[in-house]
Amino acid sequence: MNREEILLGNGAIALGLLEGGCQILTSYPGTPSSEILPEAVRFIKSQELNIYTEWSTNEKVALDNAFAAAVAGKRSACIMKQVGLNVAADSLMSAAYIGTVGGFVIVSCDDPGPHSSQTEQDTRMMARVAKVPVFDPSSPKEARAMAKAAMELSEEFSVPVILRPAIRVCHARQNLTIGKIEPNNTKADFVKDPSRWAATPKFRLKLHGELNVKLATIAERFSGMSQFNSHNLETGKKYPLGIIAGGVPYSVVADLFNEDARTDIPVLKIGTPYPFPQKLADEFTGACEKVLVIEETDTVIEYLLQDRKKVLGRLSGNIPSQGELTPEVVFSCINNAAEAAGIKPLSGKTADEAVRLVSELDLPIRKPTLCPGCPHRSSFYAIRKARPKAIFTSDIGCYTLGLNLGGVDTCLDMGAAITMASGFYQAYAQDGETKPIVATMGDSTFFHSGTAGLLSAVYNDARFIFVILDNEITAMTGMQPTPGLGIRADGSKGNQITLEQAVKGCGVDFLEVVDPYDIDSMKKVMKKAAEFTESPEGGIAVVIARHPCVIAYRDQAIPNKKRVTVTEDCIDCGYCRKRYECPALIRDPEVSRTAIDRQICADCGLCIEICPKKAIVEESI
Amino acid sequence: METTNVILCGLGGQGILFMTKIFAHAALGKGFNIIGAETHGMAQRGGSVISHLKIGDPESSLVRAGSADFLVALEENESYRNLPFVASHARIYVNSDSGKFPVAQVKSFLQAHEIAAYAAPASQMAGELGASLSTNLAMIGFYSAFNEKPFTSGELRETVERISPERFRELNLKVFDTAHDYGKSQGPV
Repeated sequence: MNREEILLGNGAIALGLLEGGCQILTSYPGTPSSEILPEAVRFIKSQELNIYTEWSTNEKVALDNAFAAAVAGKRSACIMKQVGLNVAADSLMSAAYIGTVGGFVIVSCDDPGPHSSQTEQDTRMMARVAKVPVFDPSSPKEARAMAKAAMELSEEFSVPVILRPAIRVCHARQNLTIGKIEPNNTKADFVKDPSRWAATPKFRLKLHGELNVKLATIAERFSGMSQFNSHNLETGKKYPLGIIAGGVPYSVVADLFNEDARTDIPVLKIGTPYPFPQKLADEFTGACEKVLVIEETDTVIEYLLQDRKKVLGRLSGNIPSQGELTPEVVFSCINNAAEAAGIKPLSGKTADEAVRLVSELDLPIRKPTLCPGCPHRSSFYAIRKARPKAIFTSDIGCYTLGLNLGGVDTCLDMGAAITMASGFYQAYAQDGETKPIVATMGDSTFFHSGTAGLLSAVYNDARFIFVILDNEITAMTGMQPTPGLGIRADGSKGNQITLEQAVKGCGVDFLEVVDPYDIDSMKKVMKKAAEFTESPEGGIAVVIARHPCVIAYRDQAIPNKKRVTVTEDCIDCGYCRKRYECPALIRDPEVSRTAIDRQICADCGLCIEICPKKAIVEESI
Repeated sequence: METTNVILCGLGGQGILFMTKIFAHAALGKGFNIIGAETHGMAQRGGSVISHLKIGDPESSLVRAGSADFLVALEENESYRNLPFVASHARIYVNSDSGKFPVAQVKSFLQAHEIAAYAAPASQMAGELGASLSTNLAMIGFYSAFNEKPFTSGELRETVERISPERFRELNLKVFDTAHDYGKSQGPV
């Protein structure tokens, strides 16, 4: 039943986990990790496997759930993006000491660039901090093999293992052969051992010692794990320059050398950077006068190499310390080092001339923007109209793009719209000043990490308006369901928890639900909410702005379609384009007026209300 | 085999991913391996979208600047933006309704590097067939008229037929054929 399929790297990872006998998979969505769990669900359904999958409410919850399954002897995995691992860090550090019974893999996907994240942090660093082995795949194909190997290593050594694919693995596509996945029918069997599973500090010291022994053994193992760690040195030969690379940069280096048919610069591939395969690295550096370390995004291999005088990398200024190591960046890093070592550079032209040309063309900057018809746009518009002078704290999701509408002043991390709002409030309140503050956060983010902050803010009597932008889906990461929807990862029905229940449970006394497509009503509700936050008996006011996402619920989101047009009354003031910032509102230079881009207009008709000159009207048919 | 490097670009929502899928499946159908890279997440929301596709046996997913054998752009400005990827002697295929493609500076750059450029009013063609969202298929049809290696137009057409969702199949093929026929009559700009 083998068949070939073009898989997303995330599909390859899902496949590798299932082929590694994974029985429990948990995740919280986040680019670039989001497709792993849905791909696993697809394989599980097509092969009718008895494997549990769940969207957890956040990454810590995902890690704890999967960890418990592994403690009960099953093989499990939890999946997240790199900043999600920060949320789960407390669990990770402790889990490393305690260890597991069944295999336990943490998939944490990195985002060098960053393309869709708040940092470029390197999960391999987190693995070192937590003292957990880590695999760093260079392609989807290798990610599949490593997912399985990580699961096996974890079970053999009773230690959590991290798989860290970077975005160019997760969102790469490659053709792979899919065969029958062998079911793993291990039964849950928790064996009580409080000195381990509930260890006190005295036992923790013992567990730490045991972990160190495991890591030393695994480092030895990694030195001999030639499918992931290898070099192409010729015995006895000495080289002026060698390259040490891991993960995505390794595959880039391999292609550059293959294209140019070069074998005079040896390459050491490190697929398992921690615990470091020291023996193999010593062998390689011993044969080279200098070694150039190419890794993303931080300095893991570079720090762990012992012959410091030979090492070229970020610390020596040979590799940029931020940004993605694209093929052209790697190309010039290698050529600079080759030149310094007196070796012929790689052939091939650079694209400098074309880059200059493009910058001279002054092309329009295409910043990401909310979709035409997005309900968040009218929410932000109404919020700004009602509270123009407020501090706008916001959060992680599509609605971060409220930036373009002047509706977002801060974005720190998941949940910080509420916590920064309460922080701002207390900072001003201390000076006797009442500062209007409006926090905005999406429904999924609220379930992820909103409640703890809201409880604290209510408890400490902070005063601000908190708007939950409820589009009934996790939109930015590709339409995953939320507890508010009550649909589970495999599409089955779960128990729905409404935002109203959760907000009331946090002790909030003011709660209004409004449809942001009704801009006037939303403005009125915002004013009422403001009054509540300012009255002595008041408190935090919560407004749920509820309207379905136009992408996820294409057919329901705009029930009354209105095809709009711009009349001659338009004075080209630009108010609609600037303040409503809908990509379908464009400027027609030929008539010096606003025009509608028919290709993308969603016919929501909301811009009719925005125009100060009433020049945007419904087209008469 | 020698690797064929492809850059497909345009704007979020124009169907770059589906266009990539057609090329990738056409390659697979011929027994070639493929690896490529896509844009997802925040960057996808209305911004510039680029898809890298490498046909052959490379290990990495990104096309290096200066090494794309051909580029297909669903929008004129995006074709300019991605010129750094294009190799000398390569071909670029661009959707342009304006009739102004390429602007003078670009034209002299293309000439200096012996890059052949072909333009088609693909959005207009798709729109006239009642498929305004199928600029991507029109561009593949147009491109197919030039028998670019490693694909023949027949192989591309067969792939469109095979992987189009049932309800769009007929219309997709009509858009493909119309643009293909148009391409037959066109030379480089």
